Amino acid sequence: MKRTVTALVLFLALLVLGACAPAPTPVPPAAPTTASQPQAPTAAAAKLDRPIKVGIVDTYSGPPAAFGNDALNGFKLALSEINKNGVLGQKIEFTQRDDKYAPDTALSMAKELVMQEKVDVLVGTINSAASLAISAYAKEQKIPFIVWTAKSEKITGQDGHRYVFSTSENTAMAGKAGAIALAKKPYVKYWIAGEDYEYGHAIADSAWNNLKKLKPDVQLMGQTWWKTGEPDLVPYLTQIMAAKPDAVIFATGGAGMTNVLKVAKSTGLSDKIPMWIHTATDYSVLKPLGANAPEGVMGTMDYFYYYPDTPANQAFAKSFQAAYGNPPGFAAFHAYNTAYFIAKAFEKAGSLDKEKFIDALEGMKINSPVGEIEMRACDHQAVLPIYMGVTKKDPKYDALIATDIVPLAGQDVMPTCDEIAKERAKQ
Amino acid sequence: MALFIVVVLLLPIFAPSFYTYVFALVMVNGLLAMSLNLVLGYGGLYQFHHGVFYGIGAYAIALILTKSPVPWWLAFIAAPIIAALFGLVIGWICIRSTQLYFGMLQISLGSLVWIITSRWYDFTGGDNGINNIPMPSFLTSGKEIYYFILAVLAISIAVMYRVVKSPFGATLQAIRDNPQRCEAIGVNVRHHQLIAIVIASFFAGVAGVLYVGLERSVFPDMLFWVLSLEVFVMCLLGGWFTFAGPLVGAGIIVILRTFVSIYTEYWTMIEGIILILLIFFLPQGVVGFALGRVGRKAQAAEETVQVSERGAKV
Amino acid sequence: MAFGQDLVGAVTSQLLVGLSRAMILFVVSAGLSFVLGVLRVPNIAHGSLYMIGAFAAFTITALFGQALPGFWLALILAPLAVAVVGLILERALLSHLYQREHLMLILFTFGIMLILNDLVKIGWGAEYRSIVPPDNLTGSLTIGDLPLPRYNLFLLIVGPIVAVAMWLFVNRTRIGKISRAAAVDREMVGVLGINVSWVFAAAFVIGCFLAGLGGALIAPTTSITLGMDRTVIMDTFLIVTIGGLGNIWGALIGSLIFGLTQSLGLLLWPQFAVVFPYAAVVLVLLARPKGLLRSVW
Repeated sequence: MKRTVTALVLFLALLVLGACAPAPTPVPPAAPTTASQPQAPTAAAAKLDRPIKVGIVDTYSGPPAAFGNDALNGFKLALSEINKNGVLGQKIEFTQRDDKYAPDTALSMAKELVMQEKVDVLVGTINSAASLAISAYAKEQKIPFIVWTAKSEKITGQDGHRYVFSTSENTAMAGKAGAIALAKKPYVKYWIAGEDYEYGHAIADSAWNNLKKLKPDVQLMGQTWWKTGEPDLVPYLTQIMAAKPDAVIFATGGAGMTNVLKVAKSTGLSDKIPMWIHTATDYSVLKPLGANAPEGVMGTMDYFYYYPDTPANQAFAKSFQAAYGNPPGFAAFHAYNTAYFIAKAFEKAGSLDKEKFIDALEGMKINSPVGEIEMRACDHQAVLPIYMGVTKKDPKYDALIATDIVPLAGQDVMPTCDEIAKERAKQ
Repeated sequence: MALFIVVVLLLPIFAPSFYTYVFALVMVNGLLAMSLNLVLGYGGLYQFHHGVFYGIGAYAIALILTKSPVPWWLAFIAAPIIAALFGLVIGWICIRSTQLYFGMLQISLGSLVWIITSRWYDFTGGDNGINNIPMPSFLTSGKEIYYFILAVLAISIAVMYRVVKSPFGATLQAIRDNPQRCEAIGVNVRHHQLIAIVIASFFAGVAGVLYVGLERSVFPDMLFWVLSLEVFVMCLLGGWFTFAGPLVGAGIIVILRTFVSIYTEYWTMIEGIILILLIFFLPQGVVGFALGRVGRKAQAAEETVQVSERGAKV
Repeated sequence: MAFGQDLVGAVTSQLLVGLSRAMILFVVSAGLSFVLGVLRVPNIAHGSLYMIGAFAAFTITALFGQALPGFWLALILAPLAVAVVGLILERALLSHLYQREHLMLILFTFGIMLILNDLVKIGWGAEYRSIVPPDNLTGSLTIGDLPLPRYNLFLLIVGPIVAVAMWLFVNRTRIGKISRAAAVDREMVGVLGINVSWVFAAAFVIGCFLAGLGGALIAPTTSITLGMDRTVIMDTFLIVTIGGLGNIWGALIGSLIFGLTQSLGLLLWPQFAVVFPYAAVVLVLLARPKGLLRSVW
């Protein structure tokens, strides 16, 4: 008995050690200054009396932890560049909290960051429900909150307000981009299939409503929805194949993407029926599949590390790769931009005042790795380009890549300011 | 004891607002854990999915306040009653089985409620939950809600204490200790157990209402089975054969979770380790242990106070 | 949908893929049910063990190549690795709790679930993983003009093999017979001078093996991620409940109900197919709260 107790204590002690050891987050080496970045505050008149504090709430455990880490790395990379010169004589500091993909935890963490850490800006999270909950709290407390990964169009749409911003593309934009691309194709009879959660339904609705507007003769044959995390999608896809639609709109994300692509290949659906999925061309989706991903899948995407092949994007991808050992994903890209939005807005505001920060951020433009990005003043949604592409094997890369890329400008895929105003008035 | 009461009463005045918030969260979880203990510790029932009634209470008030013109005070009363009605239905189905089967059946039925809640987009908001729930004007600041929660908790504790000490409570404990004998002397075992479940779901519903008051949001996660098991852990940690133990357990868990999560993303693992250490070395719980050491003469309440104070200072 | 040929084809196809889905659910829930029957513990960590099985399969195929040896080795080694984890857990910790209150055992498995989840994250990281079956199991056959992936066909063979193996084990081996007896009356087995503790260990390890096997089997059809434990544990809990707690054949029937209502429900009402298995669970539980087959206690 004594021996077992000792063994037990040792075992648990080891676990505690493991748990308490800091997560291995490599510190980025001093990144090369990229020429295109907005740099060097021009002889700042005002000086801040303390560092800028950013509070991050995001998911570092649970299924989407990979995106949480990616975003954090992108943010850290940007800070390592920004803090070399500082913002009005001060650095940007951050502290991050793990919401475990649970909105109630996220809300609790956001409250802690505001009340205890007294952060100037909240950023996060990949979970749309968490973003909406924090957004409501941010509105009440008048704290700026920048959403950098969650894609619900409600964030800057019907639930938008003065204190919430989004630097990520959203379901309204992604759906419209898909609709624009699909409207040019000859398909008439569509099937919609996806993961039964908010993101899935939102993106399907957006794609379908826009497609109907652009091409009124399209028909919806039927819909199929499976639950989040459904491990085996074969029954769902065979049923769709039995219905013989002209094309399928898939509405799914994260780990569910890999599942769809796998089964689309094993059932042969991707060879027989054209399919569109937002983020199908994403590196994080295609990488786990290696050479086994299906070719010819249409996908829209908000960021590629290899496209556009401009010096700015190459430089960003290169320094990210050097710092973290893998190319940046879309979450890293958005978080990187977020850091520059924060830095530039505080610079313009000239103080740590939150209202002035918001005024400064409205309509602000930054030079991102893919070109100029504007924070639209009317709804606080970043105007981002969306890229339509098709998956293809390329021996130069370890995963399939997107080819035949057609960029769609942000303002063409976004709801207009009038539409947003109408949405918000409904509330 | 007196000191503790003063601390609790004055906390929002001298403590930073975050501590007030955390303590309010402790009270909400404490009420939930105490309500579970009515059926778990006193009733001996394997109430595995108690969180469902908490979630139903929270959703009920959130839906009433956002979708109907019903005045707030009526919503505050109606929500726990709705939770109790669900307790009646789920309890009635489960009560035909005993022990583990009871628990498994409850997890199954509770999971169905969770599935419906997280999918019914038009009604419950689906997995986004409901935010911006309007509260009456006297319940907007952190202090106001703190005192409101404190008052409701005090009343609830008083009522639950009366229940436990009543002839009904005595019968319930007798059933827990020896159901066969109780049956033999003509006690309607299931009837008593069902009433206990309904009372416990009512107070879980009250806790749900308080959560909405504090956070002004509801999420389907509140109905997920993992939360129910965490409440179970709170009861175990405090001691489930003591009246106030679960409150202490909730205090320790909530405070640890809040402050440990700041330093590590491995809180879940630490929670697991704490749980296993408890099972091995302190199965009677913190309060049970303290009571055991001091002996039965000491006032249970006083001990509870000291322990929870220590917990609050972590 | 047009009637006649098309419908027959669609129904056949859905029937087969539904059956193959049921087979994986059966492998996982049989393990859960077996532990439940012998130890009377609903092993909440069962889903985490399934997840470890999938991650282990990933590592093994990464080491030995995705092609021929890797996958088959993974099918054997991954469940064995999970079984070893189970053995350590049982001998080091769980075995000291058998004299304790029953709830302690259940909470113990919850604690293990919490720990294993974070350990998987520490060990494998947060990225999605994916493996492919060997070449002769990729692609699909066509039935009518509808596809049946070869891998699902393979699952249709594996499922019955596991069922038969379990039947042989329980009815033909000494330890199986003892564990069956222990499930019914553990005092009696103890009185007979059999070391019940080792019977429990064996049962627990077999349960873990099956969880690991389920994880390794599902790995080629899905993405291997954190959180895959939660989906499966919920479904398998429901399956063993409707089947009759601790009854392995109940787990088989429960899995069939789950897999078939889902795949055939898709033909009826694809938009709400998610609901069918759960609706079936409600109906079964309302009609027979104790499950379809006799529970072992």
